Amino acid sequence: MKHSHVCLHGANLHYSATAFKERSLKSLLAHPFRRTRTGTRIGDIHALKNISVDIRGGERVGLLGHNGAGKSTFLRTVAGLYPLSSGSLRVAGQIRSLFDLSLGFEPDATGRENILYRGLLMGLTPAFMREREAEIVAFADLGEFIDYPLKTYSAGMQVRLAFAISTLVGGEVLLLDEVIGAGDASFMAKAQRRLEHLVDSAEILILASHDLQALARLCERGLVLHRGELVFDGPIEQAIATYLEINGNG
Amino acid sequence: MREYCTGIWQARYFWTHLALSDLRSRWRRSYLGVFWSLLQPLGLALLLALVFSRLLHADIGIYAPYILSGIIVWDFLVSNVTGGSLSFVQADAYIKQCRHPLAIYTLRSVLGSLIALMLASLPLYAWSALILPQHIGWNWLAILSLFPLLAAIAWPLATVLAYIATRFRDLPHALGLAVQALWFISPVYFEEKLFRQGGLDLLVDYNPIYHILQIVRAPLLQGSWPTTSNYAFALGTAVLLTLLAWLVGRKAERKVIFYL
Repeated sequence: MKHSHVCLHGANLHYSATAFKERSLKSLLAHPFRRTRTGTRIGDIHALKNISVDIRGGERVGLLGHNGAGKSTFLRTVAGLYPLSSGSLRVAGQIRSLFDLSLGFEPDATGRENILYRGLLMGLTPAFMREREAEIVAFADLGEFIDYPLKTYSAGMQVRLAFAISTLVGGEVLLLDEVIGAGDASFMAKAQRRLEHLVDSAEILILASHDLQALARLCERGLVLHRGELVFDGPIEQAIATYLEINGNG
Repeated sequence: MREYCTGIWQARYFWTHLALSDLRSRWRRSYLGVFWSLLQPLGLALLLALVFSRLLHADIGIYAPYILSGIIVWDFLVSNVTGGSLSFVQADAYIKQCRHPLAIYTLRSVLGSLIALMLASLPLYAWSALILPQHIGWNWLAILSLFPLLAAIAWPLATVLAYIATRFRDLPHALGLAVQALWFISPVYFEEKLFRQGGLDLLVDYNPIYHILQIVRAPLLQGSWPTTSNYAFALGTAVLLTLLAWLVGRKAERKVIFYL
């Protein structure tokens, strides 16, 4: 049953500088006369450095690291979005990634229509979404607003709807990037339960978060990333300790 | 390659939704809504026909549908060239989160403009049927072949341009110029005989745009089937562009995400 598997071997990922450096006639002409204010040269970014990880079915993995350490890049690489510059990635099992929950929303369409749209984005069929619509509406608990255009919603209401839809279906490999923490207190409790249920039904969970308590509760294994390098791989308590130590709080 | 195509098929609900959503947002909150897609080209065609038929001493009844057919097909091509080249840039949020084949984002713009083209074709058919009823016959069926052929040309074309334009953002600007130049040397508004009179047969006979336009013009305006060479040119263009898209895509597909 537990056939899901994520395996990275010697994985390196570079962002090529040509992709974000300003290349224009204007900057070319201005170049001889101007230096960058700080004098730093803009070069390629080595975002993941020689990372080897083996995650098997049933594992709950937390990703730690301060901003820019490579957590999101790691998740997106596992999701197959970024091509590796060297090394290999093997993934068995269907991936479900929750990065930006409100992607694909149309502000002019009603909440009910947006349920369908967001579902289609996630690769689900219209028939399936119609079947589950009532359940999503009940969970989001927006009252009559579900038939109002999305642009009339408050930020919190949008988050509730987004969360209700996005967490409807799980996957075998679940990738979460900082999705915990949305809405008012009563919704938070409900959301927390739902997320835990989702996590329970997934075979592999990889969760990137700064919420150390949530990580300790949900995960058993922790990976600590520091400047693109994997500096620790082991039990979550030790991972948290390592993370705090690296960042000078421990 | 087969995997890529199944990916496109699996995402079919998603890209049809995106195309329809583009159309919805275009017509949203306007009183005439979808009718603008019919009225806009028709109005322009009437205006141009009024002027050109005087200038060139042509019969406005026949010249107006000639121009209208030119306008709607040209609009379709332009929107796929200039709009299509920005497809990936526009869809950056989706590309950064979901692993769908990138060609679905150009398919989205092709599908959207194809629907607009179908709507804009209705007044053309009506006009032709009214003014030239003697041409109505089995050869009218050939008109329908225009839509799949145009899609087969525009999709790989938009995809190639989108790959390149994501990396080199000058391309959309340059395309604006190229498209105007192309318009100038193609029988879009001006009749083919004008080109032939000027000794510019080359611009007609070897111009895929002429051959594509003939697929609607021959049945509607001349009451004949499009010729084999019309189809050969259209299909040949589609095959060539598909090959090119495959060649460029093989290298560029995975790298696009870095340039968004």
